[in-house]
Amino acid sequence: MAQRIPITLHVNGHPQALSVEPRTTLLEVLREQLDLTGAKRACDRGECGACTVLVDGQPMFACHVLAVQVREREVTTVEGLARRADFQPLLEAFVAHDAGQCGYCLPGFAVAAYALLRRLPRPDAWQIRWELVGHICRCNAYEKLVAAVQDAGRRLHPEPEDP
Amino acid sequence: MPLHVVGTAVPRLGLAEKVTGAARYTADLKRPGMLYARLLRSPHAHARIVHLDASEALRLPGVHAVLTYRDVPQERIDADLPVLDAVVRFVGDEVAAVAAESEALAEEALRHIRVDYEVLPAVFDAEAALKPAAPAVHPAGNLVGGQWLVVERGNVAQGFAEAARVFEGTFHTQAHAPVGMETRAALAEWQGERLTVWKTSRAVHAMDRPILARVLGLPLEHVRVICPNMGGGFGNKDESRVAVLAALLARRTGRPVRLEYTRAEEFVAGRSRQAAAMHLRIGVRADGAPVAIDMQATMNAGAYVATGMRVTRRVGQGALYLYTCPHARFRGATVYTNRPPGGSFRGLGAPLGHFALEVLIDQIAVALGLDPLEYRLRFHVTAAGQPGQRTTPPHELLPDEPVEGGVPFSSNALRECLLAGAERIGWWQRRQPNGTATGPLRRGLGMAMGLYKGGVGREAEAEVRITPAGRVRVAIGNVDVGQGSATVLAQIAAEALGVPVDHLDMVLADTELTPPAHITAGSSVTLSSGTAVKLAAEEARRHLLEYAAARLRVPQVRLEQGRLLGDGETGLDWRSVVADLPGDLVGTARVTAGSRTHLINAFAAHFAEVEVDVESGRIRVLRYVAAHDSGRIVHPRMAENQVSGGVLQFLSIALREELYLDPRTGVTLNPSFLEHKGTSIVDFPPIEVLFPAPPDPLAPYGAKALGEPPVVPVFATIANAVANATGVWLHQVPFTPQRVLQALRAQGKIPA
Ligand code: FES
Ligand code: FES
Repeated sequence: MAQRIPITLHVNGHPQALSVEPRTTLLEVLREQLDLTGAKRACDRGECGACTVLVDGQPMFACHVLAVQVREREVTTVEGLARRADFQPLLEAFVAHDAGQCGYCLPGFAVAAYALLRRLPRPDAWQIRWELVGHICRCNAYEKLVAAVQDAGRRLHPEPEDP
Repeated sequence: MPLHVVGTAVPRLGLAEKVTGAARYTADLKRPGMLYARLLRSPHAHARIVHLDASEALRLPGVHAVLTYRDVPQERIDADLPVLDAVVRFVGDEVAAVAAESEALAEEALRHIRVDYEVLPAVFDAEAALKPAAPAVHPAGNLVGGQWLVVERGNVAQGFAEAARVFEGTFHTQAHAPVGMETRAALAEWQGERLTVWKTSRAVHAMDRPILARVLGLPLEHVRVICPNMGGGFGNKDESRVAVLAALLARRTGRPVRLEYTRAEEFVAGRSRQAAAMHLRIGVRADGAPVAIDMQATMNAGAYVATGMRVTRRVGQGALYLYTCPHARFRGATVYTNRPPGGSFRGLGAPLGHFALEVLIDQIAVALGLDPLEYRLRFHVTAAGQPGQRTTPPHELLPDEPVEGGVPFSSNALRECLLAGAERIGWWQRRQPNGTATGPLRRGLGMAMGLYKGGVGREAEAEVRITPAGRVRVAIGNVDVGQGSATVLAQIAAEALGVPVDHLDMVLADTELTPPAHITAGSSVTLSSGTAVKLAAEEARRHLLEYAAARLRVPQVRLEQGRLLGDGETGLDWRSVVADLPGDLVGTARVTAGSRTHLINAFAAHFAEVEVDVESGRIRVLRYVAAHDSGRIVHPRMAENQVSGGVLQFLSIALREELYLDPRTGVTLNPSFLEHKGTSIVDFPPIEVLFPAPPDPLAPYGAKALGEPPVVPVFATIANAVANATGVWLHQVPFTPQRVLQALRAQGKIPA
């Protein structure tokens, strides 16, 4: 049996006392131990963005972070964001623009877009593309995703001249 | 009658839950006491297992079971696919399955299974595999089915004799992977002799359930298969051992077992698109009209054929149907090799065959001094269908595969698509003659057409229940593979009932809760299940109206947008009258959709503007216009998404995606997102989507197929645009910079 290490993670605002192997990724802890399956495992090697979560507010690929590396830190998954008021305009925009087909990439996109809109309140289409460039959508709903994020920016940060 | 729901953009069902992570996919599921499985795979392209010892793996604490070919039923999954075998046929073939307390432990156990192989000679090339001395991948030989598939209309020899000129060309397309974002997965659980399997699937009724029952020796009723949500189907994700091995491990250990492929496994041991070599000859009369079309294709099916025969058949579809032509023939060979197995992927063989056909047609038009669009406007197949006599009686006709002349289309708006697309891209104003551009960056316009048969003749069933709680439960056995069929079927049911979509609960893809259903394939769901849903909803509506009229003591009522209307009744909510129903009001329907007198096909015309850098060989797509005849569009926004998604997916297949195999060992060299690189968010321009066609008279609410048609003309559209820019037609997909430079050099367009 591999050695196990006790750690505490703060997940969606709650402290979680866990016992993990040194090799265990944050993604595995979230999905298998905490049953938070919003972060998807599509590649498990940092190539697609489907597993994106926030660590201390910064988007990270949870498959590419070891659980022990983020001990004592604040981890926010899409399930946590879904309860926040300032996530709702983003969610509404995804649905209004039909941004997504099979949906597997969407939690990752949504988490990254949420972080993006905090940093860049009203990004233009090319800013959105380059900021989200690490995220793969095989259904290729990219145009709708860009439109949704842009729209969410306008909904979150309206300006006087907006209709 | 005005339509209230069909044609409107209701929110896609389940989309919000997918964004928030509330929607569960197979690999998100857990059952109490669940174990994790991993598979041991062959390091050899072709070998016989001579010795196998799993005892060391089994001694690891937490490892519960190891299955090898000695421990599994003899009954096969497919005719050529044993559950596990003593012979392995490609690098990555399944050798053993392990169940353990964690995935890491199962993975660790794989390294403790000792296998000695006797390495056998392997063959990777389809042409080579057809030679008599080639190593046999399966005992019956490498030509699948023992013969070529031959389909002929008219007599091509006679057609070529009548031709003024004959053109020909050889074309190649690559092996590439569908790459659904979700990898294959299955979770199996037994309750006594009853088995429940959750899995990635596109046919819980038509494939998974009967296969599991047969292989495991269970009555069909003891097997329940559920596909909770699909993270991308694209016509793929069946045809493998995943569910059977999970079920066997679960039986052996007495615990639920979940098996999930890694990304690399999905690339190698999923089912990829077969590489194709195609030879095409077209004879034309003096005025350019095609008089004979003859296509021959050799398909590299890999180690197991899966749905490969259907893929092969679809290669010929364009050659047999797209142009009005009295003599046409398609011959296809499906060939076993020691490559990773092929299977079906969006469009099956149609994008491959259309590539050859539409590129050679472009070459013919230019050689005859005709504008390629003008040529197509003159000679594309019309609503009348192909010339000739129909000889098979309609009731004997294989409804989705007639090859005779004399069968008209139910509708055909190719002409409208050609004109609308040309107008949008500015074809007449902006297109220069082929190969006249100069300088390092050369721009050009190109176009291609396509047609696709969608789901004619498939059986479909639906059940619509109106409950006392005031809900409508619509049950269909199909899987929504991510394309949005649940939403489209809900719209059809809501329209037929006369209620808003949000009064409906859609139940799909669970063999226990839904009536039997066909596979989600061939762009068939809207047509066949749509027809069944419409009929079932109409029956339920009749029951509801009778009940409401009796209850309200009026002779007659109508239902519109959820309101009951009738003599003296003003807009009562239908839900207010059903509370006392003694039971559900049920409508059911079982249909064989489609027509035996007409072909119900979807059509498309695509246009692109590209820029070719003749120094680097790089192709940039500047604009892309896709005009589609899919009849009436049930959900305009989703339809647009479906078309643009399909085009974008195939643009990167056209330009770069390929599974590379080491020709010595058969090892797949690039099984990752970074090395088999798909479309990213910055690669291509927005796709301009047009729907210029009227509703189809035979399809439900006039809606024809849409899932696959968008991918059919893409390769040829880009090749033809590149030819307009450079004067050189590329005959091999993908159009990598190296290939572009090579072709330009070979034809003297740039210095050698
Ligand atoms: S699963 Fe983490 S980046 Fe793909
Ligand atoms: S919606 Fe299917 S992968 Fe993005």
